[in-house]
Amino acid sequence: MGLFFKLGWYFKAQWRRYAAAILMFIGVDVLEMSIPWITGRVIDHVLDQTLTQALLLRYVGIVVTIALAVYVMRFFWRVFLFYSSFNLAETMRQRIFAHMTLMAPQFFQQHRTGDLMARATNDISAVEMTAGEGVLSGIDGLVTGVLVIAIMTVLISWELTLIALLPFPFMAWYFVVLGDRLHKGFRDAQERFSDLNDRVQESVSGIRMIRAFGREAREDEEFLRIADRAAEANIRVAATDSLYDPAIFITVGSSFMLCVGMGAWLVEQDRLTLGQLTSFTMYLGFLIWPMFAYGWLLNIVERGSAAYKRIEQLLQAESPVADTGAITQIDSADISFEIESFTHHDGHKPVLKNIFVQVRGGETLGIVGPTGAGKTTLINVLQRYFDAPHCTVKIGGTQIQQLSLQALRSAVALVPQDPFLFTATIAENIALGKPDATREQIRAVAQLASIDKDILRFPAGYDTLVGERGITLSGGQKQRIAIARALLLDAPILILDDALSAVDVGTERSILAHLREVRVDRTTLVLCHRLSAVEYAQQIIVLNHGEIAERGTHRELMTRKGWYAQMIDYQKLEQAVESGR
Amino acid sequence: MNQDDDIVKSIKLSSLWRLLRYALAYPRLLKEAAVLLLLATLGQVLGPVLVKIFIDDYITPGEYPIRELATLAFAYAVFYGLSAWAGYQNAMRFNEVAFSVVRTVRAQVFAAVMRKPLSYFDHRPTGSLVSRITNDTEAIKELFVQVMSTFVQNVTLIIAIFIAMAWLDLRLMLVCSIILPVVVTVMFFYQRMSSPRYHKARSVLSRINAILSESIQGMRIIQVLNQQKRFAGQFRGVSQELFNARMSNLRLDALMLRPLPDLLRTLMLAAVLLYFGTQSFTTVVEVGVIYAFVNYLSRITQPVVEMTQRLSLLQQAVVAGERVFGIIDEPGETQFATDQRITRGAVRFEQVGFSYDGEHPVLEDIDFSVAPGQFYAIVGHTGSGKSTLMSLLLRFYDPQQGRILLDDMPLADIDQRDLRAQVGVVLQDPFITVGTVRENITLGLDISEERIIEAARKAQLHDFVMSLPDGYDTKLGERGGNLSTGQRQLLSLARTLAREPRILILDEATANIDSHTEAVIQQALALLRGNTTILAIAHRLSTITSADSIIVLHQGHIMQQGSHQELLRIDGLYRHMYELQRQRALVEDAEIL
Repeated sequence: MGLFFKLGWYFKAQWRRYAAAILMFIGVDVLEMSIPWITGRVIDHVLDQTLTQALLLRYVGIVVTIALAVYVMRFFWRVFLFYSSFNLAETMRQRIFAHMTLMAPQFFQQHRTGDLMARATNDISAVEMTAGEGVLSGIDGLVTGVLVIAIMTVLISWELTLIALLPFPFMAWYFVVLGDRLHKGFRDAQERFSDLNDRVQESVSGIRMIRAFGREAREDEEFLRIADRAAEANIRVAATDSLYDPAIFITVGSSFMLCVGMGAWLVEQDRLTLGQLTSFTMYLGFLIWPMFAYGWLLNIVERGSAAYKRIEQLLQAESPVADTGAITQIDSADISFEIESFTHHDGHKPVLKNIFVQVRGGETLGIVGPTGAGKTTLINVLQRYFDAPHCTVKIGGTQIQQLSLQALRSAVALVPQDPFLFTATIAENIALGKPDATREQIRAVAQLASIDKDILRFPAGYDTLVGERGITLSGGQKQRIAIARALLLDAPILILDDALSAVDVGTERSILAHLREVRVDRTTLVLCHRLSAVEYAQQIIVLNHGEIAERGTHRELMTRKGWYAQMIDYQKLEQAVESGR
Repeated sequence: MNQDDDIVKSIKLSSLWRLLRYALAYPRLLKEAAVLLLLATLGQVLGPVLVKIFIDDYITPGEYPIRELATLAFAYAVFYGLSAWAGYQNAMRFNEVAFSVVRTVRAQVFAAVMRKPLSYFDHRPTGSLVSRITNDTEAIKELFVQVMSTFVQNVTLIIAIFIAMAWLDLRLMLVCSIILPVVVTVMFFYQRMSSPRYHKARSVLSRINAILSESIQGMRIIQVLNQQKRFAGQFRGVSQELFNARMSNLRLDALMLRPLPDLLRTLMLAAVLLYFGTQSFTTVVEVGVIYAFVNYLSRITQPVVEMTQRLSLLQQAVVAGERVFGIIDEPGETQFATDQRITRGAVRFEQVGFSYDGEHPVLEDIDFSVAPGQFYAIVGHTGSGKSTLMSLLLRFYDPQQGRILLDDMPLADIDQRDLRAQVGVVLQDPFITVGTVRENITLGLDISEERIIEAARKAQLHDFVMSLPDGYDTKLGERGGNLSTGQRQLLSLARTLAREPRILILDEATANIDSHTEAVIQQALALLRGNTTILAIAHRLSTITSADSIIVLHQGHIMQQGSHQELLRIDGLYRHMYELQRQRALVEDAEIL
């Protein structure tokens, strides 16, 4: 129940709606309960033969009025109550999203997408349930219960109430037990279902193997075994679920029996009228809901609390990189790296060591080396993906930590290794960082990235949808769109992180030539495996195990006969083989 | 996911009927369910009648003969108990039918997927196929668990209540029966109005999920481009849209679904009171009848509301059913039994040509033959068509031109089971199933212990297996998590060797493994030579230097063919590939410095 206190801030903010809803369901309860009483009165009048036309019409009129009033109030309390709970979900969803936009990339490596998604969807639903159905079953259940018992005791007969209620505590207890079992059963069924999913996933992705070994029948058997386990779990849930109705039925039935038997005796003693007995049996029906609500409430709150805890954790997570810098403008596109040593917070060996490099504005720096040499780490330090102690990286004369994150990001345009396209049109994907760009501007950068012709061949040209629901692009096309996207920003610093790997050599050459043309006075960092991409760089560094193994221009490095020169030869041969020579 | 958002305007009755027909396979359960349902309903309807008898015959006149009352009480208790028991048993029968049906549908669709031609999988994302087999069948389950039972039970109950009412007072029953068409009309309009709203909310929700997952995956790009505010704004827009859609749903529910039938019921109650009151001016009325009517009225509306709520489940189930039937009905790979068996292991490709899309040829004019017991290797760069060649040999696809012969019989005529048994394959990514080492070697086949151990010995895996806590009965984790890549590959080799195939295919089996494992595989191949025909695709040329003949593929054509020594003497593709790999080793060494 602590969750209700934790959600106090929200109840306070929405107290008018909650108060209105609560007042209305109390009103509904009171009015609804007057109907059995009126029915009883009519019956008594009939039996005493004191009923008159006017009296009858008055009673019927009251019932009709009550019916209408109840209808109106029922409408409004639903709207008020669920408006509030939906709104809570909405608020939390936006908070989670906004919070995630502040988290550094490391955060997303630590949390799986599915896990974050679950918090923003399922967990929010569970909390929403608490603020809606939870409040309803807690308060309305209580009010109904108290009201019914009060009416039965005060207005009709306390002895009859006592006898008739005997079976109900049993039902309340039974509901709690069933609710618990149902909840556990659901969880179990869900796990079995995900086993089933895993199994099918494995079979479908292993289809070649299954075929090659003629294992289809065997797969069928194994699938059925797991499907049966899932079915068994489901049957247990269904069996538990099917126990509710008989439980209600037996409780109410035995209560009716006790009540009619005891009532008859009271009527005989003249301490009760037949009309009162009839209304009493009607009241008994009202008691089912509070019993049910109690078990339900426990369940909702249990799930809601666990969910709220997970959401809180997420919202309280601090970004690994604090946005502390105050400088909002860089003074030049010079870059200097002064890195003594850098070790990842969970690593032992330094990933970068003794890297001292100066790049003047307008120059191109090539960063090459084998996989795992620290190339990407170096540019991650530059972009502040994580904070690196013992590393001084400056843009212009300013240390990157003194720049605001916004300024740093505006200064650097990145084309990442794995180009990520959003579900949107090609034009929107290119203009991602500059949504107000004109079509001419978009086309201009697409031409620079040698993708314009490809785009015009698509069914809807620049308005073709890409991503999950759109057309599928080749790796090279994606890379070139990502390049166009970065070029549109016209940032002082451009980083190509192995961004041409899926582009053929000829296209790569023309893109690089375009870049040299338009990016005068602007700094470019090129990371690559295929060395032809750095041939024209003013400076090339070869990283190996986080250290600079060789440095110089293409020509200088060729004369050194080191890794660079060997790799150039190797790649020449590779190209020959690729073209079948 | 996307397909789930399709707005369903009307459901196809034929598909619904086809789904329901599955239940007919359980006539015993259905009959039992029907009898139990009648019993349960009888008990529910008779209760108020007994109370009515008690009120009118005993309380009103004020007579209380003990014996008769005891009988009445006993009857009441029996009816209630019986009804509760029958209700529960009925629900359980329905559940059993439901789960048996789902089991059948699941088995059918899974088996159908497992037997589709491999080209079927080329353009279908795994996720969507998985979803057909699991989520869609789950939706079908709801049809039986939630929809069918609710409809049958509630319709029966309503009919029984009206019969009881008619028996008590025919005229009043007729008055009360007005409520039915009214409630049904209201529910009809509710359904009409809520269906588009409901689908709208669902499609916005799935859009939110899509945006959420995309934003999380692309958050780095969003941040790099300083677009956090814009994306948060976009998200806020969609999130708000969801809120609005849900509110619109809610208002409709609050207006029509819940309170309206209750309103009608209370108005009906007023009518009953008016009827009895007016009657009492002229005749004597039975109070017990009023009691019974009041009691019955309170039970009429709920079933109709329940049925209305389940209608959307019905729609989803039918849509899911259509998708599942789509898979079941599509023809699978033809698997037939013939008496053509592989005995020697000769392989011949005759002018074979193949293309996946009918447009771009992947293999052209492939022509070679391998005598039984020979070791042939096929090499080539990525995209040269060497994997496709193996796929054709395994009959994953049929060639468009030319033909493939095994032991001089066309591949298409050979008994499928025999083909799978006689052509063994070791793939690049070993497929390890959850189970013991033994199960992974036998893969469900009846293979003797000696053959298992011998195969493991040949794959040099036996000693390692014996060092495991439970030997051959050691459980392997998911995807062989507790084995190294090399060990997994050796296990895969042992599995194939245990089948003693006439023809062994290695499909890039040495691509991802260390040189020790490679050496082991080479030794194993040496042992097989002469007895088993070996066809190896190798990226790593060191694996195949001892092959009888090497076929060099480039862009779907055979460029060169000959032994390793012969090919090395010629300044051509093979020699360049070989040099490339030597240089690669050199470059890799340089990296370590």
